[in-house]
Amino acid sequence: METMRERVVFWYGCNAVRHGDIIHSAIELLRAVGIDSDPAGGPAYCCGTSKDGNLAAAAGMAARTVEKFNAAGRDTVVTWCPSCHRHAGTFMTGVNTAKFGVSHITEILHTRRHLLVPLLTHRLDRRVVLHKHSGFHEVDAYPLIADLLRLIPGLELVVTDYSAPGHMCSAVSAVPAALKDVVRRSAELCRAHDSDTLVTAFHSCQRLLCGLATTDGIKVVNYVNLLVEAMGMKPPADEYAEWKNAGSEAAIREKIGEERIAKIGAEFFAQQVLPELRKLPEK
Amino acid sequence: MESETEQLIAYVERNIERTLADCTTCGKCFDACPMTEYSAALNGKTGPEVVAGIRSLLAGDGGTPAALEWTRVCTQSARCIPACPENVNPMLMMRLSRITALGSTGGPALLPDGKRDPNFFRRINAFSALQFSDAELAAWQR
Repeated sequence: METMRERVVFWYGCNAVRHGDIIHSAIELLRAVGIDSDPAGGPAYCCGTSKDGNLAAAAGMAARTVEKFNAAGRDTVVTWCPSCHRHAGTFMTGVNTAKFGVSHITEILHTRRHLLVPLLTHRLDRRVVLHKHSGFHEVDAYPLIADLLRLIPGLELVVTDYSAPGHMCSAVSAVPAALKDVVRRSAELCRAHDSDTLVTAFHSCQRLLCGLATTDGIKVVNYVNLLVEAMGMKPPADEYAEWKNAGSEAAIREKIGEERIAKIGAEFFAQQVLPELRKLPEK
Repeated sequence: MESETEQLIAYVERNIERTLADCTTCGKCFDACPMTEYSAALNGKTGPEVVAGIRSLLAGDGGTPAALEWTRVCTQSARCIPACPENVNPMLMMRLSRITALGSTGGPALLPDGKRDPNFFRRINAFSALQFSDAELAAWQR
């Protein structure tokens, strides 16, 4: 089956920038299925969903982002973040006129998965557990991701009945006891299924769970990196996870390097970045 | 012509109006919620009772402590959506409740805004700078 190449905006959102590896792998996968992308993200492309307490800011952010996407002139904006996707389908386009359609990356990759099949040549002989949430009701993303992962030779995918509340872990983090339960259940599921790898769908799950490598010996990996690895490519390093699992402040500093720390300011790094990296998942 | 903010507030108000018109206060959304177990204050509360408080909040009448608490612990699990016999989208109802409780529609702020962190976006930019090249930052994030 021949599929035409297409050019889209790939809108990866704000908080996903903590995981440059995920964004780079996602771009690679889009390319593999015939889609060239204009990546866009970070605060300059915020949807405004985090500003429920300040509708003036939310309105400005949404209007500016829709305006930029309209100016980009692409028919489709491909989303990564479930919060952005939700906000785009409601508050953003309920108020602003969008000259583009919105699709989630899981829908795009799944629809074009026949193009991935011949590329997934590298065996990944491991058993992995899919980490799920119930809240992304706009797109039934997990069955799509499961279908994609089942294309990987050698990979044994475990899909359980457990779905954590929220649409991703960051939503649950507002209720710390609930997040602890999600962390505990996720680790238990891996142990119960004799798996040392938990697969995440979204960036904030990756962010909040990747420390399981330190606390429980469980590797946490995003599905896009598994697909890229199965294409025989070396996935970009999950630096955020490497930093979080470095074990000490000195080791984190060494891994990041003084040059990069200086780029964001030593004081800001110490006060705002380091505490996040030192925080491990709690059960 | 309405400003962007006025348009967004009007959108929120239209959705509140529709929610108030369609919701019958049956409480099935509350019963389906996986988050209520994380709040002692919601222990023993009934769905109709708490949802009546949500309706009061949305109507601008201040709500009830239980309604505010349910709003606080909502994580957008979406399990309320299929539970609703009136197709209200209770998850959106709870988002509107949060927006109202934060004082964004002109009423008093009844819940603290946990996301009002002056370093929220600065941290995002910092992680960007740590992981993306200058060329990527210029092309993708400006």
